[in-house]
Amino acid sequence: MSGEPVRLDSVHKRFGKLEVLRGIDVDVPSGATVAIIGPSGSGKSTLVRCVNHLEPIQGGAIHVGATKIDANGLWQDGRRLGAGDIARFRAHIGMVFQAFNLFPHLTVLGNLIEAPTGVLRMPRGEAVDRAIDLLAKVNLPEKVKAYPAQLSGGQQQRVAIVRALMMDPKIMLFDEPTSALDPELIGEVLKVIADLAIRGRTSIIVTHELAFAREIADRIVFMDGGKVIEEGKPADVLDRPQQERTRSFIGRIH
Amino acid sequence: MSPERLGRLFWEYSDIFVHGLWITVQLSFLAMFFAMALGMLGCFGSLSRSRILRSPAILFVEFCRNTPILVQLVWVHFAWPEIVGIKFSAYTSAVIALALQSSGYLAEEFRAGIESIDRGQVEASQSLGMTYLRLMARIVVPQAVIRMIPGILNQFVTCFKSTSIVSIIAVPDLMYQANLVASATFLPMPVYTFIALIYFAMVLSISAGVRQVTKLLPNFGYFQHRRTE
Repeated sequence: MSGEPVRLDSVHKRFGKLEVLRGIDVDVPSGATVAIIGPSGSGKSTLVRCVNHLEPIQGGAIHVGATKIDANGLWQDGRRLGAGDIARFRAHIGMVFQAFNLFPHLTVLGNLIEAPTGVLRMPRGEAVDRAIDLLAKVNLPEKVKAYPAQLSGGQQQRVAIVRALMMDPKIMLFDEPTSALDPELIGEVLKVIADLAIRGRTSIIVTHELAFAREIADRIVFMDGGKVIEEGKPADVLDRPQQERTRSFIGRIH
Repeated sequence: MSPERLGRLFWEYSDIFVHGLWITVQLSFLAMFFAMALGMLGCFGSLSRSRILRSPAILFVEFCRNTPILVQLVWVHFAWPEIVGIKFSAYTSAVIALALQSSGYLAEEFRAGIESIDRGQVEASQSLGMTYLRLMARIVVPQAVIRMIPGILNQFVTCFKSTSIVSIIAVPDLMYQANLVASATFLPMPVYTFIALIYFAMVLSISAGVRQVTKLLPNFGYFQHRRTE
């Protein structure tokens, strides 16, 4: 298992008259990890949300494995996908949100097995075993029966990551996974991402944690104003940025 | 008038009062039952992305909410026979009118409950591959229903009180029976005072019940201090 490649070709995205993505080209080879950095409002969250079609795009194309997303919808082998196929397409793309978005009315176990049993038709026993196994790997074996409201932010985010991993996704998308966390809880979540979530998968991570991005990313993309300003190996972008805007952003955040 | 005479009077007519109260309770439950069904249709219609579903649903909901119950009652009972061509018994007309009135409010209650669920819940469900129907059934509606329950119960109280209006089309509810007894005995003051107290006691106990039920709702780990009290 090494994930599926993701390729963005000149992607345009508008909210009404506001153009949020203005011709984005990003290539994420199979199994690679790309970190997207940039100031708020630069369009980086919107970019990852377009990859699993939470946001439709208005121009260009996104290739996710054998699926193509363009302004007219989703396509496989020249066939336009309906709502059911779009749901199946999303089932193999894990997504981790800034606000965790756990289901508050379900226990941790309920959160984890809901989609595997309901969407993938995995037998319940198998799903439970998998959930318990993964919870142990993120150091939360005792929280099986807890409700999300009884967990800290860091614990909730670790459960949310496991929830995505339960589907055995080929691609993982992270939308600022640690931005809502207290500083002392960030480390535990980053560790789970690095050690577990991105292993053997194609990953796109929107983050403000530059040290983390340097450690885990194969490439770093710096975005500003809806455009890719600079991209390259972490050391190149972070230590020897070519563009003035990249330099000033990195200078401000350090 | 002596208390004994009053006691004898109410004893003598107790069958009539009990029967009236029974009709009132029946009307409330039947009307709420149909109102919930209609309210759900109105709610999902007004949330629909299709205009063909949405526009009539919104019109229906607004009509139900923005016409007085008395007008709805006489409209259903006296106008529908000419419009629809079917004549309903007073009892059926009463149930329909009360259900219409409550369904408008319930539809809004349902819609507000569903819209109060954070957008992130929908996005998380979608990102896990759930279809719209599945995520509504498994994630959004279960959370929304819990928020709706207090509103539904309050609407039940309102509906219970509204039933007194049906006496004007001669449905033999508690109010209607009181009118009969009052004119038969020429004692409006004690009779109307008595049934006012009955309505008051009924509504008070329903409301108290509502508060208890609201406390019993699952809280999913929030407000844990309440459980340890």
